[in-house]
Amino acid sequence: MVAPARAPATPATPTTPTPAEHGGPLEPVYVWDLVVRLSHWAIVLSMLVLTFTGIDIARPFLHGGSGKAGFTTGYVRVIHFYAAQVFSLAVLARLVWMFTGPRRSDWRQFIPASAQRRRDMIGTLKFYLMLRPSPPPATGHNPMAGLMYLGVFGLYVLMILTGFALYSVSAYTSYMHGWQFLLGVFHGAQGARWLHHVTMWVLLCFAVQHFASALLTARVEKNGTLDSIFTGYKFLPKDRRKDDE
Amino acid sequence: MRAGADDAFRRELTARGVTRRDFMGFCSGVAALLALPRSAVGQIADALATKPKPVLVWLEFQDCCGNSESFLRASKPTAADVILDLLSVDYHETIMAAAGHQAEAALEKAITDHKGQYIVVVEGSIPTGADGAYCTIGGKSALQIARTVCRDALAVISAGTCAAFGGLPAASPNPTGALSVGDAVPGIRTLINLPACPVNAENLTAVIAYFITFGKWPATDRLGRPLFAYGKTIHDNCERRAHFDAGQYVEQFGDAGHRIGYCLYKMGCKGPVTSQNCPNIRWNEGTNWPIGCGHPCIGCAEPAFWDKMTPFYAHLTGVPGFGTAADIDKIGLYATAGVAAAMTTHGLVQLGRKAYDKRKAAAAKPTEAKPTESKAVAAKAADEPADKPTAGGAS
Repeated sequence: MVAPARAPATPATPTTPTPAEHGGPLEPVYVWDLVVRLSHWAIVLSMLVLTFTGIDIARPFLHGGSGKAGFTTGYVRVIHFYAAQVFSLAVLARLVWMFTGPRRSDWRQFIPASAQRRRDMIGTLKFYLMLRPSPPPATGHNPMAGLMYLGVFGLYVLMILTGFALYSVSAYTSYMHGWQFLLGVFHGAQGARWLHHVTMWVLLCFAVQHFASALLTARVEKNGTLDSIFTGYKFLPKDRRKDDE
Repeated sequence: MRAGADDAFRRELTARGVTRRDFMGFCSGVAALLALPRSAVGQIADALATKPKPVLVWLEFQDCCGNSESFLRASKPTAADVILDLLSVDYHETIMAAAGHQAEAALEKAITDHKGQYIVVVEGSIPTGADGAYCTIGGKSALQIARTVCRDALAVISAGTCAAFGGLPAASPNPTGALSVGDAVPGIRTLINLPACPVNAENLTAVIAYFITFGKWPATDRLGRPLFAYGKTIHDNCERRAHFDAGQYVEQFGDAGHRIGYCLYKMGCKGPVTSQNCPNIRWNEGTNWPIGCGHPCIGCAEPAFWDKMTPFYAHLTGVPGFGTAADIDKIGLYATAGVAAAMTTHGLVQLGRKAYDKRKAAAAKPTEAKPTESKAVAAKAADEPADKPTAGGAS
């Protein structure tokens, strides 16, 4: 990662510069470790495949044609099941990493356990509502985003469990048959199917918001957020508040 | 069959026009239905002919009598009918000759004389609202009768979805407070649920034949349904499954695919989420079954099917607040587009405001005039004086 060349501009207003206009020297900070980045992209890619195949399973648009001994929906389902394995393992790995990984992959990034995180969360909300010009400093996830991801991980788990419940119905000879007890929790296979379908749309809404926010943050805050999920590095002012590091 | 011991039985068969061949065919059918080996056929035939028949009491509560109809539907006497007649059905309101006090006395006698030994078949759900006033027989509520009769029964068989899961009477908003037998009468010794609307007579016969032959009840799943009949989904045994896997679907009733016999999945078929053996044993003495004649499965054998499986011609129920027939995918697409639009607007405003601030700052700079901070900035400075101006992270 090459640090973007930045001419040290004079701050427009010395008292309250926005981060983008912060004139001080920047330094690369290694924020996202390999597990975080790999699990992120495994989740993104598997979600793309799962959404495409999942919509086809719910209301098939790929047709086998007439008179042919095809296996169109069969293949779509098989792809869905393999992608589901990638997704489930990636989510599981990331959840385990929340308790075993380094500081900025930690569960405290998601649950605002400290008073400082909670204060910063309000500050970030104000920034998003354009009530303040710059967000509180955050090296990893900002507390608002972290809380959002907590919900997203909750939806991931719901997705996995409803999917397992549906899979268990016909997994007569597999150990996956054991997940049948979940059918009671989700009001039968039809209930699991409904939840699985609606949650997909909620996650799609999140994905759109997430992508738009990443673009906007990259443009406004100019701290390398968008690059960081590829490289692991953000570019932050050397004199930033470091109490969350 | 042993000669002598079952002369009476054989005479009974002959009197009803059922040949020994018919009877053995019936026993083979039961064995096949129960997935038992060929050697079990003789065992079943022997048991049915010689073993003492349990006393059967048939209770009917909040229902349409469809299960009795299903049971008595035979166009000609079959071996199954004979078996069931031999069960000594001591109480069945629809078919018994006795009426009024005589009928109630027969019930009373059956359950006192055979305490702990009789089998109860329940048809219909049990209303609990208004102190049970929605269904009373001989001045007693369904709940009272069910509790009295089922408590001392050897086993209770809930025939049909109403008895097994509440069925139509229990569908939202469930005005009579209808419950399944299992929920209304806790502590039943052995409860066998045979859901479906109506119950498939073959399954009921097979359960009873199994008990007479082996002296125990068939293995059941978490919902009390015998595994031999409810262990697989309709989808997994469907004769049209190959068309599903191939991606060949009926798009509209009467279209080319429908006439050929393509998969009914896109017509809202609930076969994938419904467990029953309809594809194997079919209905009306094996004549046909819904999917076989071109209609999607409506999931009648599942709990709360009237609430969960409707609309019958759609894949999923609607979204609360949008109506039961709302198209989830349409709502989802609008919601996703809405988020995209909102984020774009937010982004443009954010970028626009930034550009405006920059231009304002640039204009103010040459004159070294007062700072350009907004009210919000001042508020922020008051709020969090400790904050250093620094890059945030919204990743």
